Amino acid sequence: MQNLLDTVKGPWFIAVYTWREGLRRKTLVGFLVLSLLVIFGATFMTSFINQATVGDVTTDMDLKLIKDICVTTISIFGILITIFISASVVPTEIENRVIYTVLSKPVRRFQYLFGKFLGVQLIIIMNLCLMGGLFFIALYIKQQILPTLLLWSVFLTYFEFLIVSALTFAIACASSSSVLPTIAGLFIYITGSLTEYLKDVYNRSGQSGEWFDTLIGYIAYILWNILPNLQRFSLKTQIINSQPNDPPTDVLIPQLVIYGLIYAVCGYILAYWIFRKREV
Amino acid sequence: MSNNHNPVIKTLNLTKVYDTGFRGEQVSALKNLNLEVYPSEIFGYLGPNGSGKTTTIKLLLGLIFPTSGSIEIMGTKDIYSAYVKKNIGYLPEGSYYPDFLKGEEILRFYGQLYGLTGKELGKRIDEVLELVGMTHARRRLLKGYSKGMRQRIGLAQALISDPQILILDEPTTGLDPIARKEIRDILSHLRDKGKTLLISSHELLEVEMISNRVGILYEGILRVAGTLDELLTSKDRIIEFANAKNGVVQEIENKGGEVVDQVKDRVYLKVKNDEELYKVIELCKNLGLQLIKITPRRETLEELFVNVIDLAKKERSL
Ligand SMILES: Nc1ncnc2c1ncn2[C@@H]1O[C@H](COP(=O)(O)OP(=O)(O)O)[C@@H](O)[C@H]1O
Ligand SMILES: [Mg+2]
Repeated sequence: MQNLLDTVKGPWFIAVYTWREGLRRKTLVGFLVLSLLVIFGATFMTSFINQATVGDVTTDMDLKLIKDICVTTISIFGILITIFISASVVPTEIENRVIYTVLSKPVRRFQYLFGKFLGVQLIIIMNLCLMGGLFFIALYIKQQILPTLLLWSVFLTYFEFLIVSALTFAIACASSSSVLPTIAGLFIYITGSLTEYLKDVYNRSGQSGEWFDTLIGYIAYILWNILPNLQRFSLKTQIINSQPNDPPTDVLIPQLVIYGLIYAVCGYILAYWIFRKREV
Repeated sequence: MSNNHNPVIKTLNLTKVYDTGFRGEQVSALKNLNLEVYPSEIFGYLGPNGSGKTTTIKLLLGLIFPTSGSIEIMGTKDIYSAYVKKNIGYLPEGSYYPDFLKGEEILRFYGQLYGLTGKELGKRIDEVLELVGMTHARRRLLKGYSKGMRQRIGLAQALISDPQILILDEPTTGLDPIARKEIRDILSHLRDKGKTLLISSHELLEVEMISNRVGILYEGILRVAGTLDELLTSKDRIIEFANAKNGVVQEIENKGGEVVDQVKDRVYLKVKNDEELYKVIELCKNLGLQLIKITPRRETLEELFVNVIDLAKKERSL
């Protein structure tokens, strides 16, 4: 037990340090402030305008638009922050050589990586809490109903980000700058959001009987199986179309959580496997 | 002096080849290094830039991995173990520390990585800050530190766990003379307290002032290693004569004497052995010079360094 505690203590301190350092990054803070401004603007400002012009309660149409804007803002700015921070924590530390002093302390490489990864997650969670929290308050003020559906959505969005974060982090462990892993992270996010189409490709393939047609079908099928399907984590249509306090329907939350964790663990193992023998 | 102790740091045929570029080009940075550092000594690890000092140090700390050969620290080959890491303090070359933290916060962070907490950690932070003379600036952000202050915090960071061994990569490079002297004093003080120090440097004079033993590395090969007394013995003597007139230097040199200096009516000659000594005295007597004194002369580290490297260059061109 004491051993276990000692093993996680080091990573924890590294995580807190990473978190504090992350908050110093202008890009990250910039994204965060922008997203909060957009959410704030979309929710509160529109109500002023409405009152000024129509003098009526917000119509259904307006509310849908506001929800759409906010959900999209959270996912776009959220994923940008996620990718940016996951891609840069390790390369930055190699570049500025802080890693020399840290790895020369009694900290094993897996502990170091674990600390860094944990720190990244702290930043992502903090962001989601701030953005989701503001949206939550705004919706509550507007509709006077606790928007619990939004909480579920933010919760699932975290697991979506976790997948992208873990895979980006792994690639960053092999790079000496954060440019390549950032691009890779965007690629993973975009293809991960389009995996449903791969299934379509598979379903439609093989009809002509040509060998390459079948081959493309197979490739699409394999990719569809390997790549994370990020669309599953989205409750956007539900949030826009349902009541704020409706329970999420048609989604299997525990399965999605496990699905996210499996990808995260694979990403972390990959990161460690790359970093284990890396010369710094 | 300490050859009867077991070395604290020992490498056996340590070799490092870097793979660089896409064409599989290789840089042989370290070749069959057999290095021994003994307890309670300052070992000056010397060599011009690019000779492989930093490579050696990074290998010792497990930041990079040997191509072949082995390392033993405090009697164990498991140099990644917590036991070894707890006993090594490391100051990297020209290192960067997080700007956004205060001096004491940095030390707290590094101390935590050693498993230190609470009062014990607080006490250690006070001690090392005092030792490196940074107590006055402990609550200031690193952003406002001078280069010398950063280096002191770096040293404090290396000392936080009270390690037996200190490995310092060019600790005084880029500092002003006063800061250098102060750092040097801290290092001698640590040695006197029984610590073992491995200091890489290309500042010969400084190393000569504080080291017990030195090693000279050139192009990845350790050319010489030993105590300063062993390495810098020299039978050279300087003979001082008075009464020198114009043209006498020319005359002496024609007859095979080596004049190293001339001030007013004084000339200084260098001889390598007794036979030369008597010959020169005879010669000068005949020229009407007056013998003032004979002094033994120890080679400087700088001369040794230059000789070693010249020799290495000659060997290579053969
Ligand atoms: N990561 C690396 N990749 C390739 N070559 C390197 C690397 N690090 C150092 N070298 C080369 O190894 C040699 C020794 O470098 P180094 O150990 O830094 O020397 P020193 O510290 O004595 O100045 C140099 O020729 C340097 O160019
Ligand atoms: Mg160096």
